[in-house]
Order: sequence, then structure tokens, then C-alpha cells
Amino acid sequence: MISDITLGQFFPGYSVLHKLDPRTKLILSVIAIVAIFFANSAITFIIFTLGAVLLIAVSRISFSVIVKGIKPILFILLFTAILNVFMTGGEGEPLVDFWIFRIYTEGIVRAVFMALRVMLLIVVTSMLLTYTTSPIALTDGLESLLSPLKKIGVPVHTFAMMMSIALRFIPTLVEETDKIMNAQKSRGADFSSGGLVKRAKALIPILIPLIVSSFKRAEELATAMECRCYRGDVGRTKLVKLEYKGRDLLWILLVALVAGAVITLSVLPYNPESYGVLYDILFYKI
Amino acid sequence: MNEILKLQNVTYIYGRGTPFEKVALDNVSVSFERGKITGLIGHTGSGKSTLVNLLNGLYKPTEGRVLLDGADIWENPKEIYKVRYRVGLVMQYPEYQLFDETVRDDIGFAPRNLGLSEREVAERVEEAAAFVGITEEMLNKSPFDLSGGQKRRAAIAGIVAMRPDVLVLDEPAAGLDPKGRREILGGLTEYVKERNSSVILVSHSMEDMAHYCDNVVVMNNSKIYGVGTVEEIFSESEKLSEVGLDSPAVSKIAAELIRRGIPLEGELYTVGGVRDALLRYMRGGAL
Repeated sequence: MISDITLGQFFPGYSVLHKLDPRTKLILSVIAIVAIFFANSAITFIIFTLGAVLLIAVSRISFSVIVKGIKPILFILLFTAILNVFMTGGEGEPLVDFWIFRIYTEGIVRAVFMALRVMLLIVVTSMLLTYTTSPIALTDGLESLLSPLKKIGVPVHTFAMMMSIALRFIPTLVEETDKIMNAQKSRGADFSSGGLVKRAKALIPILIPLIVSSFKRAEELATAMECRCYRGDVGRTKLVKLEYKGRDLLWILLVALVAGAVITLSVLPYNPESYGVLYDILFYKI
Repeated sequence: MNEILKLQNVTYIYGRGTPFEKVALDNVSVSFERGKITGLIGHTGSGKSTLVNLLNGLYKPTEGRVLLDGADIWENPKEIYKVRYRVGLVMQYPEYQLFDETVRDDIGFAPRNLGLSEREVAERVEEAAAFVGITEEMLNKSPFDLSGGQKRRAAIAGIVAMRPDVLVLDEPAAGLDPKGRREILGGLTEYVKERNSSVILVSHSMEDMAHYCDNVVVMNNSKIYGVGTVEEIFSESEKLSEVGLDSPAVSKIAAELIRRGIPLEGELYTVGGVRDALLRYMRGGAL
């Protein structure tokens, strides 16, 4: 069923991560994303992975949920990893030299780093944002962070409202699609057999009712908002006011520390002739 | 007993293995008789809609079996669509499933999926349209140009056109005015009589249940709470109110009259029945 997709779904809870201010989490995500793109040696990836494990432990979201979230991108990961293994040239002797295939150490290292980078990216952003932050809190945070742009005439509030409405209606739309599919199945519609053209045609009985009811719902929502005197940003107050607390500062410091370590270590030059094997493994750079 | 559909120890769990897991049906066994209209009542969230979706194989039981004419419908999962032609399900607010250019094509969607010839399709469309009271003129309109009640009827015709052995309707009259209600529900009695098929009717209206159904199944809390004829079920209004359900208004009046010492007898759950009982009492009694 469509509703089994977990990537990008909010899991309600009461962990520290859930309680953090959404603005803090947005800032932390940006810091983490920057750091992960700096990471280029085993030691930096190890530090980053430890950070991610800490996040998972703190969030109290079960490990199987996270694995389920990564599953959909497994194919892309494998594909890029394989390409990296074969396409990366190296300086030393190739490890495998067979027909047109040449595999160098650099290729394998790069493939592993690449796969790790994408996986960590997804785990960290989903732990910080989608899994532990409700869509409403997320858009609230975004609106607040971007509010300086209002001064130069960017309709930040309108964008945030559009985004929260869009997010709010995803589950409704999924449910509705499910319902319409079942209704058409009850009339003998078949979505899972036949060629491409037949399958595309089979979607018409789902898409048309879905679009019709979406338009209808949009109109009803607009009317309902107007009935409750919605007139945009002007003079609008919030039920839940965003407030930074001590723990927000603590987490920013913590993540900044990890990110700082990762960035510093990745910028430090690698010196192949000085400190022995362990150093080589940990600090070897691509 | 002549059973057509039967649920055997059926359990259904939503979202198994996720934090949102919910038991919707808990070890339910119930059977539906051929040639009868069976009502299904229970308050919101009691598992009615889940049960209905299990009947035509839209959901697969987590445990237990669904038997159609004694055969497990999931014996051959690839042929589950055949079950859907025999057990026609009209979902709640079925007008949302209309999509084709004309009402005629939309009603013909299911017969075409059945693989019938165009001539047979046309025949079935005419028949189903006549059955729900859709006129020739309406057949050529776009389904989106019809009124709410007409849309509902067109959608029901879309299922009736399959000529199912069991017609299952989930709240077919919800949101309709009294006239539309009578027209749609009144047709069901004929449907059963004409073809010796069966109807399963989900409704919140006890009046409708009392008026149109032969048997009633009461659900509560994911379980079957009671099964019986209309008479049996509505004569125990205290048991019904225990699970948050009402008896028909007239049967409450009749019960109150009996409590005050007026001996009434007969069908005390329909307006006509109570009227007759009162007349009998007044003619034969002290007056």
C-alpha cells in the first residue's frame, strides 16, 4: 500500500530531538550538510557516523524504521558505488585488470565514501527534520528563519502557508488515492497487469476523480479560510510561539563541535610519509 | 441455512509492525444469507467498513478466511478480481469514483472490464440505469453535470451493472434528502426479489434498518456484538444502547407505551407496525 512509505514521515514522540526548536534543527541540518560534503577521509566519516548514531540514540526512533527509510534509495546508492569503482582512475598498480575493467584502490575508497555520504545525509536530515519535526513546526521554523526577507518584499508568510497546506494534504491525498483505487478495483479495474500503455490508461479512472476532488477541496479550503477572516500575514498571531531554550544552544554547540572537527580534519593536508599505517588508513584522502 | 458469504475467525490489523498498528477486526465470524437484506450497524470505528472491504477481497484478512459459496476467496490470489464481480461493493460516497466522459460510459466501465461485448455492455447499462432511476437523457450527460443525488445513483448503477450475487452498500444514503433515500433503498428490496441475490447494507439509520432489512448484524469494538432478525435485535433496545446505538424512534415510543400499561403486539420497530398495533389495541380494547 502507498501509505507504507516511511521516508519523510513524521513520528510523534517526546525525545530531546522532538522538543528542539524547529529553527535550531534547520540550522543544525545546514551545518551537518556542509560538514558531510567536506568529509573526505576515514577519520572524518567515523566522527560523522558517531554523530549520526548519537542522533538516532537520542531520538528513540527504532533502527528498523531508519533502515526502511534508506531502502528506497538503495538502488541508486549501489548504482553510483559501482560506477565509482569502475570509473575512478588511480596512480598505483590497478587491483584488478581484466579486459576493459580496471579497479584501483582509489575507486573503491571513493565508492565507499560516496555511499556513506549519501546515507549519512539522509539519516541526519531525516532524524533532525522529517522524523522528529511535525510539518507545521517545520514551516513555522522556516517562516521565522526567512522572515528577514520580508523586508525586501518576499512573501515569506504566503510561501510558508502554501507549504504547510501542501504538506498537510499529502496524507489526505494518499488516503483519497487509496479509496479511489479500491472503488475502481471494485469495478474490476486492473492496475497491475498489461503493457505500459495499458497500465498508463488504467490510471485515468484514478487521476480524474483525484484531480476533480482536489480542486473542489482547494476551493472549499479557501472559502473556509476566508470565513475565518484569514488575510495573510498582517496582524496574525501564533498559538505556539517559537522560543530558543538552553538545550537549543547546547545542541548547536555540540553539532558545531562535530562539524568543526570534521571540517578541520578534512582541510588538514595528508602527509603520506610520516606516521605509519594507522595514520595512512585514517587520514588517506580522495 | 443458505449462506452465500461467510467470515471465519477473521482478524484484520492495519499497519502491522509500525507504530500505528491497529486491530480493526478481532476474530470475527459471521455469515450472510442468500436472498436476504442484511443490515450492518455499529458506531463509527467499530470495524464496519473494514469488514465490508474484506468481503470483496480489497483487504486480505490478517488471519482467518472469507468464504463465498463455501470457497475461500483467497485460494487463488491472482483471480481475486473474479470475486469482485460477484460481490459488488458500493463504497461510501461512491460519486467520487465517477470519471468517464458520459454517465453511460461510466456505468459501462465495470461491464467492459468484465470483457463483455459492446451489445451486452449497452444492455446492462440500460438495465442498471433503469434500476436506479437514471433517465436516457442523463445517460448522455457528463457525470460531473449531475446533481449530488443523481451522481450517487449513477455510481451505484456502476456496480449494479456487474449483476453481482451479493450487493454490498456502505452508507448508500448518507447525505441524501428523504426522497432520495427512499428511492435508493426502496430499490434494494426489488433487487433481492428479482434475482434471488443478497444485499448487505451498512447504515447509521435505525429507521432504515428496521424498514428495509431482514437480518441485522451489530458490531462493536472490532467484534460482532449481536446477530439476529430485525425483530430480535430491536426488541432488545437496552442492549443496543449499551454500545451507543439507538433503536428506531417508534420502537422507543412503543416501549414507553407498553411500560405505561398499553399492551401492544406485532412489528413494533416500524411506523406502520406500531400504527397497526395501536389500531388493533384501540379497536379491540377499552374504547
